[in-house]
Amino acid sequence: MKISLSWIKEFVDLNDISIEEIVAKLTMSGLEVEDVLDQSKLYKNFIVGFVKTTEKHPNADKLTICKVFDGKDDLQVICGATNVSAGQKIVFAPIGSEIPNGNFIIKKAKIRGVESNGMICAEDELLLSDDHSGIMVLNENLEAGKPIIEALNLNDVILEIAITPNRPDALSHIGVARDLAALFDRDLIIPEIKLNEVKDDIKKLASVEIEDTVNCPRYVAKVVKDVQIKESPKWLKDRLEKIGLRPRNNIVDITNLVLHECGQPLHAFDLDKLSDHKIVVKSTKSETNFTTLDSKERKLPVNTLMICDGNREVAIAGVMGGENSEITELTINILIESAYFHPSSIRKTSKALGLSTDASYRFERGSDPNITKYAAERCAQLVAELADGKVANGIIDVYPEIITPKEIELRFSRTTKILGYEVAPEKIKNILSRLGLAIKVLDEDKLLVSVPTFRPDIEREIDLIEEIARINGYNNIPMVSKINITLEQKTDETEVDEKIRQAATALGFFEMINNPLQSENDAKLTGNPIRIANPLSADMECLRTSLLSGALITISKNIKQGVKGLKLFEIGDAFKKMTNGEIKTFSDFTETQNLLLAISGNEQNKGWNTEEKDSDFYLLKGLINSFLSKISLDNVLIDSYYSTANEIYAYYLTKNFKEVELGRGGKLKNEVLQQFDINQNVYCFEFDLSALKSVQSNSKTYTDPLKYPKIIRDFAFILDNSVKYLDVKEFIKKKSSQLLKVVSVFDVFESDSLGTDKKSLAFTLEYFDESRTLTEEEVEKDFNNLIALITKEFNAQLRGK
Amino acid sequence: MLDNNITEIKESFYSDIKSVSSMKDVEEIRIKYFSRNGLVSQLFEDLKDVVKEEKPILGKKLNLLRNEVSSYFEEVKERISSSSSGKENEIDLTLPGNNYIVGSKHILTQTLDEIKSIFKGLGFSVANGPELESDYYNFESLNFPADHPARDMQDTFFVSKDFLLRTHTTPVQIRLMEKQAPPVRAIMPGRVYRNEAVSARSYCMFHQVDGIYVDTDVTFAELKGTLVSFAKQFYGSDLKYRFRPSFFPFTEPSAEMDITCYLCHGKGCKICKNSGWLEILGCGMVDPNVFKFVNYDSEKYTGYAFGMGIERIALLKYGITDIRIFFDNDLRFLKQF
Repeated sequence: MKISLSWIKEFVDLNDISIEEIVAKLTMSGLEVEDVLDQSKLYKNFIVGFVKTTEKHPNADKLTICKVFDGKDDLQVICGATNVSAGQKIVFAPIGSEIPNGNFIIKKAKIRGVESNGMICAEDELLLSDDHSGIMVLNENLEAGKPIIEALNLNDVILEIAITPNRPDALSHIGVARDLAALFDRDLIIPEIKLNEVKDDIKKLASVEIEDTVNCPRYVAKVVKDVQIKESPKWLKDRLEKIGLRPRNNIVDITNLVLHECGQPLHAFDLDKLSDHKIVVKSTKSETNFTTLDSKERKLPVNTLMICDGNREVAIAGVMGGENSEITELTINILIESAYFHPSSIRKTSKALGLSTDASYRFERGSDPNITKYAAERCAQLVAELADGKVANGIIDVYPEIITPKEIELRFSRTTKILGYEVAPEKIKNILSRLGLAIKVLDEDKLLVSVPTFRPDIEREIDLIEEIARINGYNNIPMVSKINITLEQKTDETEVDEKIRQAATALGFFEMINNPLQSENDAKLTGNPIRIANPLSADMECLRTSLLSGALITISKNIKQGVKGLKLFEIGDAFKKMTNGEIKTFSDFTETQNLLLAISGNEQNKGWNTEEKDSDFYLLKGLINSFLSKISLDNVLIDSYYSTANEIYAYYLTKNFKEVELGRGGKLKNEVLQQFDINQNVYCFEFDLSALKSVQSNSKTYTDPLKYPKIIRDFAFILDNSVKYLDVKEFIKKKSSQLLKVVSVFDVFESDSLGTDKKSLAFTLEYFDESRTLTEEEVEKDFNNLIALITKEFNAQLRGK
Repeated sequence: MLDNNITEIKESFYSDIKSVSSMKDVEEIRIKYFSRNGLVSQLFEDLKDVVKEEKPILGKKLNLLRNEVSSYFEEVKERISSSSSGKENEIDLTLPGNNYIVGSKHILTQTLDEIKSIFKGLGFSVANGPELESDYYNFESLNFPADHPARDMQDTFFVSKDFLLRTHTTPVQIRLMEKQAPPVRAIMPGRVYRNEAVSARSYCMFHQVDGIYVDTDVTFAELKGTLVSFAKQFYGSDLKYRFRPSFFPFTEPSAEMDITCYLCHGKGCKICKNSGWLEILGCGMVDPNVFKFVNYDSEKYTGYAFGMGIERIALLKYGITDIRIFFDNDLRFLKQF
C-alpha cells in the first residue's frame, strides 16, 4: 500500500522527524516499509525545459532533434516521442540526472550520429504513472529552468508499506498515522466535519432497507443534490496519483480520497438511476448475470450479497458497483453508500468472482462498522466543496444491532510472563491510549481495556500484549542467553534417514530431490494417483505414487546433458489413493516414505589404467546388499527373484521381511524407458522406507578374529544352464560338514565348448573351526563327498580333474 | 699372479661403477664382471690353476672379493633402478590416480543437516509429519479461520475439500503436542507446497524447518536468545540482527528475524532490496488458541515457535540465483557440493 507522507502529516505532526526515523519506526512496529520514494531526492536534477524548435532526425524516422532551452542555454536533445513539438514546456533531464524507472544516468551521447545533451521525459520514466504514450507536456506558464520539485510540487515522500492481514485498521492514512502517533507519542488529528445541509430531508429523497442483516449489519447513506460532475482539482488528482490511483471525476475521486484517508470504502450511486430511489441489501436467490462498472458481465453465484434498488441489482456489495447506476457526466443527484459488510461474505464473493478491489480488500479484512457515518459525512462535505453539491438534510443509518467496543482485561504480570521483561504500567497505559484504546484501572495488576471497532484483530489479552511489545519495540525485549536443559530423552525421527544417506553417498550415489507433483501419465505408472484439485499445470496435476518416474525423468535429463554414468538416490514421500471417491480421511490414501536407488551407464568412468564397466543387475544387487549391511539389515531380509517381466521391470528381485515385501527393483523394461526417452539400461531399486525402518536391525556383537588357519578348496562343475547358482550353493551348505563355513562363486563361464546349454560354475570353499586347526584329511573327505553328491544331484561334471 | 688380478679387478670394478648412471651402465657392468664369462667368474676359473697350497687363501680372498663387489653392485643397481635418473624404468607420477566417485547429499539436505545439528545442540528433538495434510492440521488448529484472508498468505494445493498439501511444517507442531504433554522442544523439518507460479524466485514445492518450545515460563526473551544463538552459529558470530513485528495466525506476538545482508553488509543492494537486511525466519509466542486445540493450559504454559525456509538459506549461502536448479537434479550441479 502506498502512503504519502505529506498526507500523513495532516493527521500527526511529524515535521521535526527525519524520513529515515519514520521509516525505521514503522518497519520496527510491524508496518514494514518496503520502498521509500523520496521525490525531492528523486527529481532533484530535473527542470522545466522549453522546446524552442524541432526538426526531423536525418538518419531516423522516429526521432526528432529538439532545441531545448533550460533557462540558460539552448541544448540539442534527441527525442523519440511522437507528441513532441515546438513551444512545449516539458520535463527535462540534464546530463548527469538519474532516470527513476531505469536507474540509469543521462550522458552526453550520439544517437544515430547526432549529439544529444539530455532527455525529455515521459511520466512512466519519472515513476509518476505508467503512461509511456508520449512525453509529459507541462503547463505553458511554467518558467524554463525551474526545478520540477517546485514547479510540479514534487516534494512528497511515498512509502510502500506491506500491511499484514490482521491489520485492516492500517489500510488508510489515518490508520498509519495512528500507529505513528503511538510510536512518537503524539496526538492524532482527525479532520472535523462541517456540513452545510439544505432543507430537503433525506428520508424523502431515498430509503434503505437491509434484508440480510447478518452480512450487512450497517448501511449508512447520504444524499447530495445538484452536483457538478467534472475533473477534480489539481491537489486531489495529485494526491491520488501519488498513491498510484488514476483520477476519474470529482465524485469518484472523492470516494477514493475518503477511502484512503479513513479506510472506509464508499460507493456513489446516481440517485436518479435507482428505481424508487430505494436501496435494498439482499443476497441473490439464483445465479445472476450482472455488469459491473468496468463494463464486464459477471456471473454471480447464489447467495451473493447485492445492493439492489426498487427492482434490480445495482452493485455487488463491497466489491464493485454496477454499470446501470454509475456516476456519469449527466448525474445530478447522488447517494453515497457507506456500509459495513461481514468480512467472510465479501471474501466469498471476491473469491468466487476472482475480483479483488480496494473496497473488497478492506471489507474482507474487517472494516470499522462505526466509522461509516463519519466517512459518509466526510464524503458529503467534500462533494459539497468540490462538486458544488447541496447536501440533503439528515442521514439514513440502518444499524439494527449496534456493534460495541470489546472489553478485555489486561494483567501487567501476564505481559511480563509472555515478554520476559517488565514494561512500566504507565508506559503500557500510554501506548494503549495512543492507539485509541480506552483504559480503566481495575487494580494494581489489571486494566480494563475497551477496544474500538476499528481494531478487529484485538480480541484477547495476548493481542494487547502484542500491541505493547510492538509499539515499545521488540529491540527493547532483552535476550535470554542461557538455555534451560530438559532431562527428558531427546528423539530424532530423521536419524535413520541420515544413516541411509551416509551409506548411499559412501557407495557413490548422489542425492536428488524431485518434484512430487507430476503428470498423470508419470504418476499412474506405479499406482493409483491422487489428483490435485487446483493444479498449476497439467504436468503437475498428480502426486507421485513412487519415486520411480521422478528418477527416470532425472536420468533422462542427465543423459541428454551428456552425463551417462549415473548413480542416484532419493528419499521422499509417495502417495497412493485408496478410495474411488473423494479423500475424506487419512485412511483414504497412503503416504509412505520411500527410498530409491538408481544406476545407469558406466559404473566408473574409464580411466587410463581401468576398464569401463557398465552397470548391470549384479552391480545393483551388490550395491543394495552393501547398503543394507551399512544399516545393519543385511542378514535380516530375504531375497525373492523374478526372471520374468512385470509392468515395470524386465527382471527383478524383492527384499522381504517375514513374507512382507519391503522393496523391489531390477532392470527397467525397455517400454518404460522409451516412455521417458532413455536409450540406455537403467536399474532401480525402491524401498518402502517407513516399513524398512520398522524392521529391527541385527544388533552388532563382537566376534574374535579367527585364530586358526583356514583350509581353502576350489572346484568347478559343468552344469545345465538351467541350474541356478543359489540352488547349488544351498545344496553344498546343506550337505557339507559343519566345518565348511563359506561358499562363494569365483567364476561363471558359458561356452559351446562345454556342450550345448551348459555352463561352468566354480566355487571356493572355506573350511575352518574357531577352536582348532583342521586336518587335511577331514577336509578332503568332506570335499570329495560334496563332489560326488553334486555330480549326482545336478547331473554335473567335475571340471579339470 | 691371481692375487694381483684380484686387486686389479677390484680396482677396475670400483672405477667402472663410479661412472654408472643408468640401468644400461649397470647391465654393462654385470656383463663385464658377473656374467658367466665375466671378469669375476674368470678369476674363479683361474683359481683352478693355482697351486694347492695357495688355493685356500686365494679362494677365501676371491670369495670375499665376490661378496664385496657383488653386494656393492646390487646396492648401486638398486639405487639406479629406483632413482629418477634411471631413465629406462622411469615412472610417470603425474598421471592421474584412479577415479573413485564418492556421492553426496543434496545441498538442501546438507543445509538442513547444519540447521539440525545446531538445534540438537540446543536441546531440540527432531520430528516428522505427513505432507498430505488435513485442513484441520494445516489451518484450522493453527488458528486460520475458514474464509479468513490470512489463508491468502499461503496459496494452497487441494486434493479434496478437507485435504491438501501442507503449506508449512507448522502442522507437525500440533501433531507433536497432541502426542505429548509439555515440555515439548523439537524442530520439524520437511517439504511443503505452495500454489505459486514457478519462477527463478519461487517454486511450487520447497522445504522448511519449524521449531517449538513449550514449557512453564517460556518467554519472548528466551525466543530471542535461542534464535540469536542459532543465527550466530549458522551465519557467524559477528552477525547483526533485528526482530520486527509481523503476523502469523498461530503466534502472538509474532516477529520476523532479519540479519544484515551478507552481500552488502547492510549498505543496501539488490539482494536485500536496498534495505540492508535479509529476512531469515518467522517466529513468535504460541497463540493461546493453538494451545486450546491441543488441550494445553495457556495460563500455565507458554511457548515459542519459529519457522524458516531452507531453500532461501541455501540460495543466500551459496549465491545461487535460481531456485529451480535445486530440483533439476543436474549431476553437474549435484556434484559441486
